[in-house]
Amino acid sequence: MATVTVNRPVLATPGQGGGRVTGTGTLLRFMLRRDRIRLPAWTLGLALLMGYFATALETFVESPADLEGLTAFSGSPAGALFGGPGFGFDDLTIERFLAGQYGLYVALGAGLMGLLTVVRHTRAEERSGRAELVRASVVGRHAQLTAVLVLVAMMAAVVAILIGGLMASRGYDLGGALLFGASVGAVALVFAGVAAVTAQLSEYPRAASGAAGALLGAAFVLRGLGDMAAVQGSGASWLSWLSPVGWSQQTAPYVHDRWWPLAISLAFAVTAAAAGYALSARRDFGAGLVPPRPGPARAAAWLDGPLALAFRLHRASLIGWSVGLLAAGLAYGSFTQPLLDGFTDAPEDMVAIMGGTENLLDGYLGTMGLTMALVVGVYVVLAVQTLRSEESEGRAESVLATAVSRSAWIGSHLVVTAVGVPWLLLVAGAGMGVGAAVSTGDAGSLGGLLLGHVAHTPAVWLLLAAAALLYAVAPRVLPLIWVVLGYGLIVGYFAPILEIPASAARLSPFAHVGEHPLEEVSVVAVLVLTGLAAVTAQVARLVFRRDVVGRT
Amino acid sequence: MTTAIDIQHIDKHFGRIKALDGLDLRVETGTVHGFLGPNGAGKSTTIRILLGLLRADRGRVRLLGGDPWADAVRLHRRLAYVPGDVELWPNLTGGEAIDLFARLRGGTDPVRRDELCQRFDLDPRKKGRTYSKGNRQKVALIAALASDVDLLLLDEPTAGLDPLMEAVFQECIREARAAGRTVLLSSHVLAQVEVLADQISIIRQGRIVETGSLTDLRHLTRTSVDAIVDSPAAALATLAGVHGLQDIDGHVRFEVDGEHLAVVVRRLGDLGVRGLTVRPPTLEQLLLRHYGDESARHGAVA
Repeated sequence: MATVTVNRPVLATPGQGGGRVTGTGTLLRFMLRRDRIRLPAWTLGLALLMGYFATALETFVESPADLEGLTAFSGSPAGALFGGPGFGFDDLTIERFLAGQYGLYVALGAGLMGLLTVVRHTRAEERSGRAELVRASVVGRHAQLTAVLVLVAMMAAVVAILIGGLMASRGYDLGGALLFGASVGAVALVFAGVAAVTAQLSEYPRAASGAAGALLGAAFVLRGLGDMAAVQGSGASWLSWLSPVGWSQQTAPYVHDRWWPLAISLAFAVTAAAAGYALSARRDFGAGLVPPRPGPARAAAWLDGPLALAFRLHRASLIGWSVGLLAAGLAYGSFTQPLLDGFTDAPEDMVAIMGGTENLLDGYLGTMGLTMALVVGVYVVLAVQTLRSEESEGRAESVLATAVSRSAWIGSHLVVTAVGVPWLLLVAGAGMGVGAAVSTGDAGSLGGLLLGHVAHTPAVWLLLAAAALLYAVAPRVLPLIWVVLGYGLIVGYFAPILEIPASAARLSPFAHVGEHPLEEVSVVAVLVLTGLAAVTAQVARLVFRRDVVGRT
Repeated sequence: MTTAIDIQHIDKHFGRIKALDGLDLRVETGTVHGFLGPNGAGKSTTIRILLGLLRADRGRVRLLGGDPWADAVRLHRRLAYVPGDVELWPNLTGGEAIDLFARLRGGTDPVRRDELCQRFDLDPRKKGRTYSKGNRQKVALIAALASDVDLLLLDEPTAGLDPLMEAVFQECIREARAAGRTVLLSSHVLAQVEVLADQISIIRQGRIVETGSLTDLRHLTRTSVDAIVDSPAAALATLAGVHGLQDIDGHVRFEVDGEHLAVVVRRLGDLGVRGLTVRPPTLEQLLLRHYGDESARHGAVA
């Protein structure tokens, strides 16, 4: 494929010879060709998500009273954590709610789009060796990075125009629509810049996108904490200004209509990209910034079977996720006391409407349990994707040529991942519990939090088994599992607001266990989900056993 | 003599492409069998079917007396495989990978493993991602050769090795044969097969076009004769089986079909031979006979 770029005479024309970005145009066209499905899928997908939110909300809101009902949750501190600073929510309109509450998720999607696209066309290409062919032709040192940054800028512009156009087409103010679209696109640019840096640090594409993704998560958490403080009118609301996602939200479309926060985004994106260029000039092709060290000459005694191998391969990722979830848990947990303070400041009857202080706290802790379960769901999907790359990159073949059966191979990876699920939930719950205990000076919620987190295990197991089944049927369809996870997220957070019928909501595996401590843990749901997961995993194993190896 | 590999008339399609087309292959126990053919002829597909990684559409496959698809795990304890493109885990060292493969197969001889590391000059402490293609190949070779197995399936095992290592490899294969192991050695490197193989099968476009010992195959081909003679040699050209005769001032060159060699040599003696070189056909010539220009190209690459 890469040879497409080498035969173009335009590359060799005199005058372009010594440029560091020589060949950028050709590479860009090549990337557009490679991403002919991916690019429309991302941009249209984000616009369609926004369109779905808009349609659902317009259907739901029939009277001003409905709008007021919305503020009850979204204007609360917990709502701010998962929505935004709530600009103009005291005089709510549909478009303000769309931008202020749902805009966050579209923006996160745009950030993912930006960072994944950059890693895909830089570090992943280098890792696979294809970039070597490209760079050996008349292509400047910085051409690949430049081309992909231009590509992301184009994607961001398309997203901005589509979303702006969509909002304008529904009759909302044009200026606000364009600003909202641009604020979403800006997040893509910022995280493309971030990925331009992380792609230089490690030799692995997964480490590059993982690090950039972790920063996206940190940006989400930071602005959440800041927005919470802003809604309560006390505390560290400046935290939102440390977050690239926060900058986009601070534009306050349909309220203040400020364009200038996007200048910060743009400046950050440019600075990060410049840092990426500088770092890439300081390292060798194919290498990270950290030089490799010699390892053990012999395998440890425990590394003696498929299960041990699976554990060895997932170990680094498990450690990384444990640290990340512990940190996130501590951060969210430590906000328990400010949250409670916020309630005491609020008008008494409003707190009563929301079920009293205790229920609000339990609601927050319960929602966090679900959130962590969804995050662990991401871990699970990525773990199954490891299977896919083991197979497509030829390492599965070497293992299956030894005395390891297909069942044992897929089974060992599934067992390691399945054991990782309650472990990660436990770590997240412990982080939350400790954070909450330190912040309130009372460890009483620790037990409930641990149970509330770990209780989601069977739901994540079912997701794991479903992913395994998709992979077993055809590795290509594995990405469909994201739909299940995304549906779980929408149902978990927005089912009441979007009026998703109960029967449809029950399709989400995450909607059954109950959000302890607010709700009781349903033992029946735990047993049924576990049983379903076991059966699905067994089917996946049987399907995989019958198939050939070396699929892509 | 028992049969280690017995393939009868297998077909394999990938979509509309026919990769194997009625392929037959027999490998006797304790022999080194060269599996020769150009790229894309179906060598790797055949080996993957023998490993039970792919399933033949039609035909019968027996490996060490078992069915490679159904009894994969049992059979894999008795064989070791080296793929043409060795992929290692980027964050495991070569030493870890060698031990792992050996343990997954059911045990290894640590002394032999260390000895092989030394002979192949491999630093086992490096991470998989830092190895060159040749070094990755060494990892897989050491893991295979250190195991106590009955059968070695080697798919172009020396593609990335330098000549020195190639010599070590040949030594190891001879030792394996002396130890009674069976080796299936696929290659398009003709010289390697020629040196090592007891039997050779030539595959082309998914079917075996020639099989037998090197002697058997040579019988089918021409011998090159280069002689300095006193008398004019033009008369030789009229003999049956003589091709491409050149006679420049008593320096005669020609090729002769195997079955006519005896007659031609007798007539050559009558001409007063002062110098004589007779060369057996090389495998390049064997392949040339089957593939024409196409194989000449591959021969040149090898």
